[in-house]
Amino acid sequence: MMIPSVPHPLGDWVRQMIPIPELAFLANALICIIAICAVAIGSAPILIYMERKVCAHIQCRLGPMRLGYRGTLQTIADVMKLLFKEVYAPSGADKFVFYLAPMIVLVAPFLVLAMIPFDHNLQVSNLSVGIPFVIAVNGFGILAILIGGWASNNKYSLLGALRSGAQMISYEISFALVLLFVVMVSGSASLMEITLSQSGTILDWWIFKIPVLGFLAFIMFFISSIAELNRAPFDIAEAEQELTGGYHTEYNGTAFAMFYLAEYINLITISSLASTCFLGGFFPPLIGVEAVDTILLKVPGFLWFAGKVVLMIWAYMMVRWTFVRPRVDQLMALEWKFLLPFNLLLLALGAVYIAF
Amino acid sequence: MFPLELTDIFFYIVASMILVTAIFTIIVKNVLRSAIFLIFSFVATAIFYLMLHAEFIAIAQVMVYAGGVVIFVVFTILLTSHLGESTLAIKIPRTFVAGLLSVSFVFVMWRFLLQDLSLSTALPAASADYASLESIALRLLSIESEGFVISFELISVLLLVTLICSITVARKTRDKK
Repeated sequence: MMIPSVPHPLGDWVRQMIPIPELAFLANALICIIAICAVAIGSAPILIYMERKVCAHIQCRLGPMRLGYRGTLQTIADVMKLLFKEVYAPSGADKFVFYLAPMIVLVAPFLVLAMIPFDHNLQVSNLSVGIPFVIAVNGFGILAILIGGWASNNKYSLLGALRSGAQMISYEISFALVLLFVVMVSGSASLMEITLSQSGTILDWWIFKIPVLGFLAFIMFFISSIAELNRAPFDIAEAEQELTGGYHTEYNGTAFAMFYLAEYINLITISSLASTCFLGGFFPPLIGVEAVDTILLKVPGFLWFAGKVVLMIWAYMMVRWTFVRPRVDQLMALEWKFLLPFNLLLLALGAVYIAF
Repeated sequence: MFPLELTDIFFYIVASMILVTAIFTIIVKNVLRSAIFLIFSFVATAIFYLMLHAEFIAIAQVMVYAGGVVIFVVFTILLTSHLGESTLAIKIPRTFVAGLLSVSFVFVMWRFLLQDLSLSTALPAASADYASLESIALRLLSIESEGFVISFELISVLLLVTLICSITVARKTRDKK
């Protein structure tokens, strides 16, 4: 069952300190919640700063430079500004649904974050149906965008919501199929066991282990996850130039901050999924040479994991500021006429790989 | 993990959640709002399945109903209905028939379920890994006598037929010259 088991030594320590098992369970659950919130909410300001810097350097600017050392305090000012703004709904908006949507949008990222194995013992819940769970809760993100855009009582919001709904429902199929490919080759749907199946040298990571297919699957995952994240170049949901911000046009203050936060936590969770499924999770990139490997093994696993996640996030940001946005029909044609058949072919070829 | 009493308390919390959201699904005038309450009710049902050690069915419930069907319902509402209008009007004869049906349903439930008092405090009979992903998958695709491979394949053919039919209905027909 889905019990936060806390395999970390900290969990055992709590169980020793608190004699009543129910209270110890609650204390452990509380620790898990605080840890997840710290990871999620703490990394969002860093990501905002990183995004502004990456964007600036691609466009030959410097980005925020004035506040603090090279503009590091700018991100705190951004967050403060968002939190202290007044929250109000536009007239004619469905108030109940309008304020419900920003709460629902945060459900999926936090639930997925609880499944991610950050290190051997750093995982909130080692669920045997981890990958199906990730795919299942992704639906809540779509729901939040749909009802948020509808409740705003604004035609741009509604258009953005409908577009993003169609886009996310379509791309979820190929997203799920690529994850299914990983489940198929690694023989387990638990994220921890997927990671453990990649132990060994760097050539044992799923991206390299299967000759060409692994790399192709990784590219497929990358494309469909950009669409899942609603990020440019597939950001027709918010398309600033056409829809003035799409589904969150009418949101401001904390409500907008929650959409924004969800976007960045989603970025973390998808990057974590990518590094778990393809880049060996928390395993260091061992190359088989004894002298180098002993040094690499000295670095703790969660640092390797964080490094891979930052690398993936950097890749997403580079793509965001490099490519132009396709039209809606082009986007749909890409999914249904190219990605989906290709993914099915990939699944078949993966089955052939397993059979041999 | 917990003693029986705490599980019972949890059961009643989830059960009342299902009841409240289900009632709201029906009495709310706005179609979109009732779809949202329907999702909450489905999620609470998924928690029920989890309490009965049926992990995979809980995940499937969230994936298929909350994440799939109702999302499509919401999508259809957004595309078709007039925004913000409350379109549901309840007529009295219909209410009468509905009330009659509900009363008879409650009567049947009371008559048959409450006779067996052991049901109310029973633990889930299945072991924790009885309905795990592996065992379900192995039984679904097994060719042994307790496997379901033929029905599985039949259903997949049926779904394929449905897909092709819906595409045929929805595609643009070219004018014959």
